[in-house]
Amino acid sequence: MSFASTLGKVIEISHSNLEIPSRIAAILNIISSDMRFEEVIVYTLDSDKRLSCRYMNRNSQLFDLLNNYRCHIGEGVVGTVAQKRTAQYFTLHNIPPRFGCLFYSKLDEVMARYKSSVFLPLADDSFLYGVLLACSASKEGVNDNDRLLLSILARELGGILCTFDLLLSSKKRIAELATLSDLGRVLTSTLEPHAILESIALITAKALNALFATIKLDLAFVKFDGKRFTSGAIEPALEAEVLRLEGEALRLRQPVSRTDDDMGRKENGPSVALFSVPIMAKDRVLGTITLCRKHEQKEITDNQEDWYLLNRIATYISSGLENALLNIKLRDALRELGDAQRRLIEHEKLRSLGEMTASIAHEIKNPLVVIGGFTKRLAKKARLDDSEGRYLEIISKEVARLESILTEVLNYVEESVLLFEVCDINDLLDEVLYLLGSDTGWENIRIIKTYNERLAPVMCDVQQIKQVFINILMNSFEAMHGKGSITIDIENAVLDQKSFVAVSLKDTGGGVQPSFIDNIFNPFFTTKERGSGLGLAISNKIVTHHGGDIEVKNTPGEGVTFTVYLPRKNMD
Amino acid sequence: MEAKRILLVDDEEHIRLLFKEELEEEGYLIDLASNGLEALEKLKGQRFDLVVLDIKMPGMDGIQTLGEIKKTDKDQRVILCSAYGEFKQDFSSWASDAYVVKSADTSELKETIKRIVGA
Repeated sequence: MSFASTLGKVIEISHSNLEIPSRIAAILNIISSDMRFEEVIVYTLDSDKRLSCRYMNRNSQLFDLLNNYRCHIGEGVVGTVAQKRTAQYFTLHNIPPRFGCLFYSKLDEVMARYKSSVFLPLADDSFLYGVLLACSASKEGVNDNDRLLLSILARELGGILCTFDLLLSSKKRIAELATLSDLGRVLTSTLEPHAILESIALITAKALNALFATIKLDLAFVKFDGKRFTSGAIEPALEAEVLRLEGEALRLRQPVSRTDDDMGRKENGPSVALFSVPIMAKDRVLGTITLCRKHEQKEITDNQEDWYLLNRIATYISSGLENALLNIKLRDALRELGDAQRRLIEHEKLRSLGEMTASIAHEIKNPLVVIGGFTKRLAKKARLDDSEGRYLEIISKEVARLESILTEVLNYVEESVLLFEVCDINDLLDEVLYLLGSDTGWENIRIIKTYNERLAPVMCDVQQIKQVFINILMNSFEAMHGKGSITIDIENAVLDQKSFVAVSLKDTGGGVQPSFIDNIFNPFFTTKERGSGLGLAISNKIVTHHGGDIEVKNTPGEGVTFTVYLPRKNMD
Repeated sequence: MEAKRILLVDDEEHIRLLFKEELEEEGYLIDLASNGLEALEKLKGQRFDLVVLDIKMPGMDGIQTLGEIKKTDKDQRVILCSAYGEFKQDFSSWASDAYVVKSADTSELKETIKRIVGA
């Protein structure tokens, strides 16, 4: 075959549309057939800068043998050619070539068949892409013509490998960018945090070609603490190993990996490698992302790009999580703000309602006095039969009722000035109980009162506090329909680091419907047929004015316990 | 015994009428005024055992009127009689001899008057 025809064929293939590996293989076949080399093999550089056999001509026998060993640059003949970037030619009479630092007896046997061997660097002006090896059984040495042709072809092959490298790295980069953009889309979405994490696990597993990817959070302060978000299934045999690796990544705060050899499970199950990367926020570790890949011999943990991507993903998760957490906080704050606003509006409504009520009550009072007053006079003066007299009496009674409602309304609305004096709650309660007990209706009420001799004195407006206890006791009285027992306990108490005297009054009135309990202190709220709904509201207001508090404990079916906290007298 | 003279001051005609009738029944001599200024005019020329004074009145209100009365004659007996209890908190109202909340039931008013001026 002529020089020109071989070169022509090679150039044609080199510029064809074939896939790059096919182009290389075709060129190796042309070299083999046109130049009578039985073996034509191309070594290329791995990402770890070691040389391994990647392409061969048809019928190559050496390939399988050589493929057992990857040589370092500078090691053996292949490594030396790569290092020096100069061609080496051997004949049978030369020293047999060594392909690596090891002696392969088998290799020597095979090599003995070839009369000449050629080693050529595949490089352009600046980079080395591989080494071409050609062996011939028929050629006694390589002539100048062949050397020239081989050097041209080596140059061409170098060019193709260079293109291939660029193509592969840009493909990889595009895939990486696609992954990162997918991640970005997920992270900026308004999905719930758990949905975000599940999507990230899926994207990671896909991008890094993993058997499974799993994200585990280690956040004591979030509700999904300890939860795992996994894409794919964790093989049960690997569970313990995954946990251990995650623990290690958390502790060391840096990426860790483990292969089958480390795990000592080479015999059972498929060959796998685990990688775990901590998800770091500014000052703490939020969790880990761990993935499991098939253990491929030539790209274990040394695959810098994948490590890089995995670390990038971990960074993304961290910022995404921070955002999600911030969102949760923001949402909570917003809800609280809304609640506060609603309370404020409610309060304002009540206040303006109070003001309106007061002005209406004022307007009504005078006409009511006139109506009631003259009705009484009419009843007194006119000579009326029984039924007419009764009608007048009804009018008078209803007017009296209206008046008392107005008084209660005004009492509630008016801010009253407190007349403070030192008082002993035991005495005050005794007076109240005496007052109520003088009514015959209270005969069937049993009062169980526990005296506390060591009770601290209280500063209060005695009349108002009496009113509070009267209101509460009347409430219990009505709840028990005039029959039952009221247990009164008085003790010194501390609430929010302030000292109080706490009076608890427990009745046996069956309690209140749970849905009513929140409204019990609201003005105009009543469960009684004829109640004004102001008694407890006024009591609450009075106690609040005193700097105290009223608590209600409702036990449906049993009764209600009111506890009145009154501030103790300041001893200073 | 000579009947006690009471000056009843209220801007509401019907209230005046009601109280006048109620109190006359109790044997008091009642004179009426519909506002503070009118009351002060009446007090200049005559002597009353008691003034029953409404608080919320147009022009000069009851509390102001009370002040004027007590300035001229600190021994003049005055009962404040209002539809509302809130003025009890007004220190100026403490100058009065009593404070009665108006009610269709006039018994509290009557009792208070009786306590202050006698039957």
